Amino acid sequence: MTPPDQRLDASGDRLASQIPETSARDIALVHRPVFLNLMRIQLPVGALTSIGHRISGVVLIASVPIAVYLLGLSLGDEAGFLQVKALFTRFAVKAAALVMIWALAQHVLGGVRHLLTDFDIGSPLRVARRSAWFVNLAAVAVALFAAGALW
Amino acid sequence: MKLSISRYDPERDAKPFLQDYEIDLVATDHMLLDVLLRVKAQDNTLSFRRSCREGVCGSDAMNINGRNGLACITRVRELREPVVIRPLPGFPIIRDLFVDMTQFFKQYDSIKPYLVNPEPPPEKERLQSPAERDKLNGAYECILCACCSSQCPSYWWNPDKFVGPAGLIQAYRFIFDSRDRATKERLDDLDNDPYRLFRCRTIMNCAEVCPKGLEPVGAIERIRLKIAGVTDPVGALDVHPPISPR
Amino acid sequence: MRTRFTGLKAWWVQRVSAVYMLLFVLFLLYSFALQPLRAFSQWHAWMARPVTSVAFLVFFTALLGHMWVGMRDVLLDYARPAALRQVLLFASAFGLLGLGVWLLWILLRLQG
Repeated sequence: MTPPDQRLDASGDRLASQIPETSARDIALVHRPVFLNLMRIQLPVGALTSIGHRISGVVLIASVPIAVYLLGLSLGDEAGFLQVKALFTRFAVKAAALVMIWALAQHVLGGVRHLLTDFDIGSPLRVARRSAWFVNLAAVAVALFAAGALW
Repeated sequence: MKLSISRYDPERDAKPFLQDYEIDLVATDHMLLDVLLRVKAQDNTLSFRRSCREGVCGSDAMNINGRNGLACITRVRELREPVVIRPLPGFPIIRDLFVDMTQFFKQYDSIKPYLVNPEPPPEKERLQSPAERDKLNGAYECILCACCSSQCPSYWWNPDKFVGPAGLIQAYRFIFDSRDRATKERLDDLDNDPYRLFRCRTIMNCAEVCPKGLEPVGAIERIRLKIAGVTDPVGALDVHPPISPR
Repeated sequence: MRTRFTGLKAWWVQRVSAVYMLLFVLFLLYSFALQPLRAFSQWHAWMARPVTSVAFLVFFTALLGHMWVGMRDVLLDYARPAALRQVLLFASAFGLLGLGVWLLWILLRLQG
């Protein structure tokens, strides 16, 4: 236990950590509601980019086993290779591929934005908002371009 | 002007609900706090914190039309109607717009918000060059209003483990203070587990809503780079003109 | 929480693997734009080249490492209580190991 005089603030009041544990615990024991309705909380563009980055990440994780299977199939023998090629003529497969391409674009572009801000490039808010818009729109653009290429 | 304000009396209500109010604006109503005080004159059971009425104490932080801000510096005529006022997201609601700040201050306290310097004090001050002092600009102005932490999704999911943008910008303020001698301990404390600092995903909600225009995300980035041993930043943190709720 | 894979180490793995994968994917897109795949023999021969196989091996390592940090982040954020989180983390690690073994088998089979 620290000596009392080292944990006083400038005006001589006790700091929050010195409040006896019982009062913090008492507060915790009482049920208190929390406002966390995401439909009612504003999500700025950076938040949308971040949500997109996380969702696209999860989509990509789910698609890796499928991609590995297709890789194995296409490298196994001639028949397997042709099977994979044939798969990509089906509408359902093309649609799934489109979602994965969007996910890849959103994740990679968002990731590059993160890499840059990590190293202090484009980190002030004004600049970061613009780059967030760019990432969101560019990912959709890539998806539209891919749709054109697939069909 | 129409307002919808979140009400909750723990002794009567099962959960918070929105109550509508109507106020005729007069010429002297400039900020949302002016209007809230007139609402309270109409219905004095409405409770909210307020003090300095000039944006420096941080008491009247609340969620205004979905975006956190200080009621006393939010221009009331620029707000979409009905103005929906709710308590800070993610914080336990004690009553109406009063939230429990215990967890928030515990996180603040955990980063040791005081100068640690065991060297014998000099005759006058512990000197700092202008360049050294400049590093604190953009961090020391934090008023601990909790607008940032309560708009941060990472803080919503783990308020007991992630320090949050407010605590971290204060951690920055001491890590980069040239007079402090506990830098290594401060950095180790933030790196030791995957939650304290590294939950930050650079979502940047904190910078968006800070009523003082500060950017905790920039402070966190600098701390990360220092932990990684990559760079030692120079100059002040980025700031921007604050963006009010609309 | 294990302190071995601290915040900083995870962060570096995520960033370094991302950079390698980005460069690799750009290189792949460039190669396939120049020489689109037509036949199985062409595809198989190209993948079986030691240079390609090793480059892909490094890529898969980076991918699995990157996936691990990502999955861990999502679980650390949302999974509770702590016991469930540990179980899910182990299950993810196990799944990724399985993927790694599968990929290694695919690459080794090329040489056979």
